[in-house]
Amino acid sequence: MVATTTVTLTTVLAMSPWLFDTPLVGMLAGRVPGIFFGLPLVALASLIFAATHHEDPAAIRLATVHWTVWLGGMLGIVLAAVLLLGWLQ
Amino acid sequence: MLPSRDAGIDRYRCRVHGNRSVTSSVGRSAEPQLSRIVAISPDDGSAIDLRNPALAAVLSWAVPGLGQLYQGRTTKGGLFMAAILTTFVLGLWLGGGKVVYASWKPGDTRWAFVCQAGAGLVALPAVVQSAKLLGPARQPLFLSSFMAPPLAAGQYVSRAYADQLARHDPDIQPDDFFDKPPLKQFRRDQLAQWHRQLGKFFDIGTLYTMLAGMLNLLVIYDAWAGPLGPSDEEKKRREAASASPTASSPVRAS
Repeated sequence: MVATTTVTLTTVLAMSPWLFDTPLVGMLAGRVPGIFFGLPLVALASLIFAATHHEDPAAIRLATVHWTVWLGGMLGIVLAAVLLLGWLQ
Repeated sequence: MLPSRDAGIDRYRCRVHGNRSVTSSVGRSAEPQLSRIVAISPDDGSAIDLRNPALAAVLSWAVPGLGQLYQGRTTKGGLFMAAILTTFVLGLWLGGGKVVYASWKPGDTRWAFVCQAGAGLVALPAVVQSAKLLGPARQPLFLSSFMAPPLAAGQYVSRAYADQLARHDPDIQPDDFFDKPPLKQFRRDQLAQWHRQLGKFFDIGTLYTMLAGMLNLLVIYDAWAGPLGPSDEEKKRREAASASPTASSPVRAS
């Protein structure tokens, strides 16, 4: 495990200038509106919450949908309130 | 219901969701007692062999999902590993490889790294780079700025690292360093340069990597104690469904 970690660490450090090239990030991600970067995080949190509460894959899938709707709904309400406040000012 | 692979075990210590703890003995008490810690699946009531929970928790911290793989829960292990590591690497990529670093300097204490470190060994290079840059060599490993903390105004670095930065970083010029043989002294604020260069992606990348680390804490708990079980609301819904005469598939009690 130590050897694997060392090899991985060395490879990533050596490749870092190409792996994390910032102009590429700017080109690809710069066109996406910032709010959409929150969607993968909602999906990730829902998936992890669901998977840590269940063991059966079917139950995990169902709970993921429930968590996504709940989290997305709550954040959507907050976003709508913020937009409304901004619009009223 | 315990699976057949556990038939030879004399004693079960079941750690169930919440503060309930059940101990059951299965015959052959004259033989040496073997204990195995199991959790009860909230979905079908089957036993989940946690093997060595402490080791599983440490493995899950080191590599997300590795503890579950060690316990034989391969689907969940693979799921956790893919989800957490993908998010962490995506955040690192969005932040140009600069958002994960360990720094405890006054004025630039990187508290976000406390959360990022929850993702395990993938955050380890940040500790190594910080130690090397602040160590006697005054330069990070392989002169790579990957996961190295930003240079503060007045910070001393090796001449080799200063030359490397001047060559490869478009925001750093050779005259950004005072010549202080045998070292060089940086005269600007590199963190401000990063913010200017990356814009919103510095914060987005930081958020992704922090969330990956924090969610891994749930994964570690899952490896240590098994699944948390359904929420109270879901329990009520299940009970209502099982009490209803039209319920097609009642859920076994956990």
